[in-house]
Amino acid sequence: MAVDIRVAGARERPKPEVSEELNNLVTPGDVITSDTGYLRGHGTYMDDDKLLASVAGVVERVNKLICVKALRTRYNGEVGDVVIGRILQVGMRRWLVETHSKLNSILMLSSVNLPGGELRRRSEEDEKMMRMYLKEGDLISAEVHSVFADGSLSLHTRSLKYGKLGQGTLVQVSPSLIKRRKTHFHNLPCGVSIILGNNGFVWIYPTAMEKTEKTGGYETDLQPVTSADREAIARLRNCVLALAHHRMLLFDTSILYTYEASQKFSAKYIPKPEVMTEIIEIARGRLEREGT
Amino acid sequence: MPTDSRRIAGPESSTNPYSFCTEKPRHDLLKNGKRQDGRKENNLRPIFLKAGVVSQARGSAYIEQNETKVICAVYGPREVVRKEDFSMKGLLTCEFKFAIFSCRERRQHQQDIEEKDYSVQLLEALEPAVCLDKFPKAQMNIYVTVLQNDGSALAAAITCASVAMADSGIEMYDLVAGCAVRVAGKNLLMDPCNQEEYKPEDETGLTNSGSVTVGLMPSLQQVSAISSKGEIEFELVKQAVAKCVDVCTQLYPVLQQALVKSVSERQNEEG
Amino acid sequence: MVDVLLSDAEKTFIIHGIQDNLRDDGRGCEDYRHMEIETDVVSSTSGSAKVRLANTEILVGVKAELGEPSSGKPDKGRLEFFVDCSANATPEFEGRGGEDLALEISNMLTRAYDCPKCLDLGKLCVIKGQQCWVLYVDILLLECGGNLFDAASVAVKAALYNTCIPTVTVSQDEGHVDIELSDDPFDVQHLDVTSAPCIVTLSKIGHSHVVDASQKEEACCLARLMMGVTEKGTVTALKKEGSGSLDPSSVEEMMETGKRVGQALNKSLMEVLCLEEQKGKKKEKTGFLR
Repeated sequence: MAVDIRVAGARERPKPEVSEELNNLVTPGDVITSDTGYLRGHGTYMDDDKLLASVAGVVERVNKLICVKALRTRYNGEVGDVVIGRILQVGMRRWLVETHSKLNSILMLSSVNLPGGELRRRSEEDEKMMRMYLKEGDLISAEVHSVFADGSLSLHTRSLKYGKLGQGTLVQVSPSLIKRRKTHFHNLPCGVSIILGNNGFVWIYPTAMEKTEKTGGYETDLQPVTSADREAIARLRNCVLALAHHRMLLFDTSILYTYEASQKFSAKYIPKPEVMTEIIEIARGRLEREGT
Repeated sequence: MPTDSRRIAGPESSTNPYSFCTEKPRHDLLKNGKRQDGRKENNLRPIFLKAGVVSQARGSAYIEQNETKVICAVYGPREVVRKEDFSMKGLLTCEFKFAIFSCRERRQHQQDIEEKDYSVQLLEALEPAVCLDKFPKAQMNIYVTVLQNDGSALAAAITCASVAMADSGIEMYDLVAGCAVRVAGKNLLMDPCNQEEYKPEDETGLTNSGSVTVGLMPSLQQVSAISSKGEIEFELVKQAVAKCVDVCTQLYPVLQQALVKSVSERQNEEG
Repeated sequence: MVDVLLSDAEKTFIIHGIQDNLRDDGRGCEDYRHMEIETDVVSSTSGSAKVRLANTEILVGVKAELGEPSSGKPDKGRLEFFVDCSANATPEFEGRGGEDLALEISNMLTRAYDCPKCLDLGKLCVIKGQQCWVLYVDILLLECGGNLFDAASVAVKAALYNTCIPTVTVSQDEGHVDIELSDDPFDVQHLDVTSAPCIVTLSKIGHSHVVDASQKEEACCLARLMMGVTEKGTVTALKKEGSGSLDPSSVEEMMETGKRVGQALNKSLMEVLCLEEQKGKKKEKTGFLR
């Protein structure tokens, strides 16, 4: 298979499944309720005592609070979320980080772990060394520390599980496809680990390359990854993209089932539409049977 | 095309007299092993190369290959003008221009598509040879003007510009030598003159007709530019590239000599 | 090119993978990504095609108009390329942002098509020295996901295949020349594109080279070799691009690969175009829906 060209339209389109949820869909300007007893949440506005939607999406009610959750949106951060970001700029005592949020996120020098122990004063020396730790283009995993008034996020990496990321591959999906779980760090049985950032960034890396704690994770291992790991990473990457293409929620079980279903194909064939549909159907069926 | 109001434009419409006498495409580029100007297939035209010809520029060079004459000036390094161009590496720009009167037909004073294409190729030929990481925040500008065009202008420009860069004292990994070859049938004509150059409108009827230009960094033995025109069989392209690489290596001493000469001249002036 | 930012470790990962002939999406070094093609997508053109190569999407429209032949080739039609980098693809293209890239693509295409045997332009001549068909090939970048040159050349070839030029009859009457355009929509001529070239871009990454580099891979690549390759394996254009340089032996290797892959690309493109034509009107149209 050097080159494979298809006629567009020759493929079948999966029929959209009609679920009850469809009744909850609104578009901007739709009246959600004219009852005044409700509280106005995100994605809504009040006009003439009526509550109207301001985004296209699904209506969510929590007691008296009504929000509309847009499905294809930038990431709206919440405190405690696990995110993956890319350093854009090194500034005064802070790094600017791209996290697919509305505004650039900030990582303060005071909210990272520096080599040589957690409780260390940040000296002027450290300020000068900032680019040595993290420079433009580097990827980090972090946790949302707080949300500023303008909606930009302040991150921190003050735990050993966060920090600079080494070799691996990044996949970007819509943030609404990431299922919120207790943990977003998973070591899969295939020798590959995955971090599902709440902001829709998914990081896939070989488990063997977990950062050593001594250096604070700022020194990356540039040894070649073994072929087996590489193959598994490529397969996992394509599986994640297939799940995202079919609008399936991403969490450890769904990813693992897709990965297992994909085994009968070579990794490079997974992006083909018919292969994608087939393995997703298998994974979907298995998930439904187990009721997860 | 917008016209420049500050210039006195020529008559609204004028015609080059040569356009009435249609030139016959040449079928006999090689006769009894000899080309029209008496050269053999592999022979180059004599090269005259001199560095340091534009006194006000940081560096400059002039090259002459019989009727092909190219002059080049280098300015910089200096601060980048536009702020958004900031980078940790130096910025190299290149402007390639045929003088208005340099060709058979009069050219426009504004850069046309061919000249823009050559500018990009020249830039990409020289970029690998310059230590750009030594010049953060700075820009260097190369201006190449073809005074007279009698074929192989791009190849001459590459050679000339690299000598001008070296003459300006900008740090470089290596020089770049340029060489062109015309492919006609099974023949490879080195350093083609204007008559021999490949023109797509000529109906030569040959299966292989085209030209290849190569820029080579001779002491590193790295190809920094490669470009071809016309339809050529694969094996011949390979041969043509290999031959160009050979010739470029042979040109290296000429470039060195020109530079050494200009350096020693400057030394004499100072001392 | 449209640049993406990568960390050093990610680059190392990609480079080592290419050395192992296993790229980050599982492909080998000579594999193309999934490509879909559809012709006849814009009815206001004489011929059009849309190509989707993973995330790269390119729309090409061909308009045939009557015009004067160029002075150098009085008995030939003209072929004009114009590339429009739409800001829809990336905000970087806003204003004049995409101009350099657009010029580079159109120059490469012009050069690849600028040889007498690629496309029989003689058929496009109406009255020698006075009137000929001018084919305006307009290329619109809708989405940039790497490897624009190859995708653009494939789309151009498909659009030219799809192009219908109305038949004209010329009648001469006492020095007065009349051109009559046939009003039968099926009385048209088609172009023979079998020997038209496709561009293959070979990116040198680490010590190996790959075809069809993704955006991430393009960020790791310093020197590229672009080749216009015809079905017969002849080379119609060659260009090195990028700020790096290449070893003469690797130039040779890259050209070998380019020729092999280019022939395969041309072959499968022609097959798919014939297949689509056979389906004719029965074909289900996708257009811009995905």
